Amino acid sequence: MTDSVTDLMVDSAMAATSNTLFNVAFFIYLVAMIAYFFRLAFTRVSADGVSASTAAGRRVGWAGLGLLVVGFGVHLTSFVMRGLAAGRVPWGNMYEYGSGIALLAIGAALVVVQRKYGHLVGFVIAAALLMMTTSLLLFTDAGPLVPALESYWLQIHVSAMMFSSSVFIVAFVATALYLVKDRAETKLAATATYGGSTVGAAQAVKPKADPAEVEGRIGELEVDESEVLASPTAQREVLNPMLFPVVPFAVVLTFVLLVWRAPVAAMIAASVAALIGSSVWYAIPHLPPAAKLDNLAYRTTAFAFPLITFGIMCGAIWAEEAWGRYWGWDPKETGSFVTWVLYASYLHARSTHGWRGRRAAWVGVVAFTALLITYYAVNLFVVGLHSYAGV
Amino acid sequence: MTDTLPAPATDAEPNDPAPRGPRVPLIPTPLEALGMLWRRLRRMSTALMLLFALALATLIATFIPQEPVIASTVRLWRTGEEGPGETIAAVFDALSLFDVFGSWWFGALTVLLLVSLTGCLLPRWKVFARNVRKPPVRGRNLGRLSHSVTLPRPEGLSEDEILTRSRAAFRTFRTRVLRPEDGPAQLAIERGHWREFGSLVFHTSFYVLLLGMTLGAAFSFTGQKDFAEGTFFADTPVGYDTFTAGSLWGTEDHNGHLVTLDDFDVTYLPDGFTPDDFVSTVTFGEGDDAVTREIRVNHPVHHEGLTYYQRAFGFAPLVQLRSGLDGQPLYEERLILRDNGGFWTARGKVSVGNPNAEDPLPQIGIEVLFLPDASFADDGTVQFNSPEANDPRMLVTLYVDSDLGLDRAVPLSRLEWPAEAQVDQTMITPGNPVALAGGLFVVEFADLSMWSGLQISHQPYRWVLLTAASLTLMGLIPSLYAYRRRMWVQVEQDHVVVAGVAQHRKVRFDETFDGLVDRVADRLGVDRATEPLTTGSPS
Repeated sequence: MTDSVTDLMVDSAMAATSNTLFNVAFFIYLVAMIAYFFRLAFTRVSADGVSASTAAGRRVGWAGLGLLVVGFGVHLTSFVMRGLAAGRVPWGNMYEYGSGIALLAIGAALVVVQRKYGHLVGFVIAAALLMMTTSLLLFTDAGPLVPALESYWLQIHVSAMMFSSSVFIVAFVATALYLVKDRAETKLAATATYGGSTVGAAQAVKPKADPAEVEGRIGELEVDESEVLASPTAQREVLNPMLFPVVPFAVVLTFVLLVWRAPVAAMIAASVAALIGSSVWYAIPHLPPAAKLDNLAYRTTAFAFPLITFGIMCGAIWAEEAWGRYWGWDPKETGSFVTWVLYASYLHARSTHGWRGRRAAWVGVVAFTALLITYYAVNLFVVGLHSYAGV
Repeated sequence: MTDTLPAPATDAEPNDPAPRGPRVPLIPTPLEALGMLWRRLRRMSTALMLLFALALATLIATFIPQEPVIASTVRLWRTGEEGPGETIAAVFDALSLFDVFGSWWFGALTVLLLVSLTGCLLPRWKVFARNVRKPPVRGRNLGRLSHSVTLPRPEGLSEDEILTRSRAAFRTFRTRVLRPEDGPAQLAIERGHWREFGSLVFHTSFYVLLLGMTLGAAFSFTGQKDFAEGTFFADTPVGYDTFTAGSLWGTEDHNGHLVTLDDFDVTYLPDGFTPDDFVSTVTFGEGDDAVTREIRVNHPVHHEGLTYYQRAFGFAPLVQLRSGLDGQPLYEERLILRDNGGFWTARGKVSVGNPNAEDPLPQIGIEVLFLPDASFADDGTVQFNSPEANDPRMLVTLYVDSDLGLDRAVPLSRLEWPAEAQVDQTMITPGNPVALAGGLFVVEFADLSMWSGLQISHQPYRWVLLTAASLTLMGLIPSLYAYRRRMWVQVEQDHVVVAGVAQHRKVRFDETFDGLVDRVADRLGVDRATEPLTTGSPS
């Protein structure tokens, strides 16, 4: 490691190619995300949770999958070339780390989400795209590391953190969607008992598409129309559509403004978030049932939690080696401890009577927020030993 | 701490071992109050709350500067120069928020958490030990369990054969054949004690980890020392520049051996400015027992219970000041220079004067600014060519005043030296003495060496902690993935019932149940597809 750093000068041509490929991957992902959202819109889920895509939906879905695989390949090439250009593992600064998280999140989407929860892939891509955007905001040229960062343990520590963070992204997507879907399901169940008002609501807001076209679409459906028990849009209508763009907009705007103080980037990111929020609202009836989303959230968290535990431990071992203490309550250490405790609480809450369900899911959301704060805010604001990991 | 689902049939889950005691009297006696506290502490929810409070405390410590870490900022907060103001700082002080990890309440929280975890874990181990030895129990009302399938009874197979064949389908499970007098023969199947075992290992090792960290911190010592090549220091409390020690670390724990810096080397990356590697060659002890070792970044050296880390480095020039009248040496010091953005600076104490004497002598201070390799542009800006001392130069400024604060116990760098006290200033290079203050003094840059900053620490119980950490991780996996489930194969007159129930991860059981039934059907040679008699529904 040390030798390769001193011997190799940074290969700037390769670094430039890596950057180009990163941008290419970004746009492929963007198109893939749109394709997945189309697939979602061309799917109907009956009240008993069986979903069926129309022929068009299936075609777009396959196209999205193809694009995603290609995008993943391009992104992976960019990631590897970055490492080759710098002559070290490509997770030495925040740009590379963010790129790695996005790459692994897409990988997780392909491996875990695609097969059983295909409708959710679009949302995971959206999260990965946001990750890549913040990564670009923190762009640094490829270069060698300061000596304290050259360690065997560091590589394990950072890769474990990167891997677990990416799986936590998938968990967060599932948790957030679960919260929305569960709310819609319970609210709909509650209104249904008060006598069919949802039917009126469903008809009050008509889809903008041409009625004939809608008819055509339904005609392509493979399920028997009579099996679709509830009105497809009813779940959507019970929730306030204004909240979906407004809340993500406000949250992302505040976050980017606070962390980067970049108003233009904040507006763009917030608008994207608002768009994603609106898509979530539109997608509610097409999402898998809440129980399935909850299960996905649990499984991904249960996978990522031992990983993050391992990552924190490697960090402690590295800290012992580099700084002379395994745990010093440095801001980053504190942040990761808090994140760890919150995810542990989520796992406990999920199996505790009275906390199961939405309350546990909120703990999961708070835990993910802690993860983001620990990653971004502590690196960029709070001065600690980790701040020289730099941007 | 695991699932608190109502357990089926016989045994109760050990999740909340606190017994529901008798009604609490209005005013409890001290003993009763203690009992109440103990019962409350034994709940897992209390342990979780305490852990939460601990996390909150650490968060506070992130956002409020901590005295042991950055004492200077805390000082500024106390005087109101920085932070939210003097009054709030006083409140913080009263709550010891400037030293969260050393505060009494943080200690109390840790102790409570440890007590609570003890109270949770001991009964759970007991219940687990009892449960794990119990063989699978008889199932009743199989048709009402969450999963129940009826298979046709295979022709020409005796009850025994059916049970034996079914048993073969559950090789990785614990099984027991039951032949109750008041009912049909049964194969009771059970699996998943691993979950509780993993959970207990996880929580117990986490407990050891916490205990080890708390005790380790109490017995720990961390000191810093910056010293120049050719100089030495001793492992005594006064030998270090700064140190922090745990509450149970005493002066007698120092072993007093000598540490001499023989040599220091630094190499730079091709960019010329980023240090690539820096190495201190250090000799421990003296005479025949002396050992020489190399300390580099990420490669600490262990010696006699202490670990030595390479922390910082810099230039250490030897500066001499002589009287210009009679050549009498006035001052000679190897200055430890600090990097201030390419400029290396330090101050020295030439004379503390005697302000109270009849014939008062002024205080004399010296300030140096060292440039290892820099050139000056015409517009006065400085360009740094290299961090290495290829062209060493030093700007020396002499201060003379009746009060420079030299007699105070304050680091020199923090003293305010007035501009009017500045007597003379000159640029010197190695080996070329220059007269100062009209020939009153002669200053010389005698030679240049490096200094190395070491961090020296004693962190006990590291192996205990590492073992506990590994066990924490190993326990975590089964506690998350294993799940307890029971199944029964019951042979009846004309059919065979396969039923089961899971205590945790019901969705997972849901997915695997069908496969297990298929395995039984395979062994029995019956076709289950003909009779989809599934009753019950997944919860």
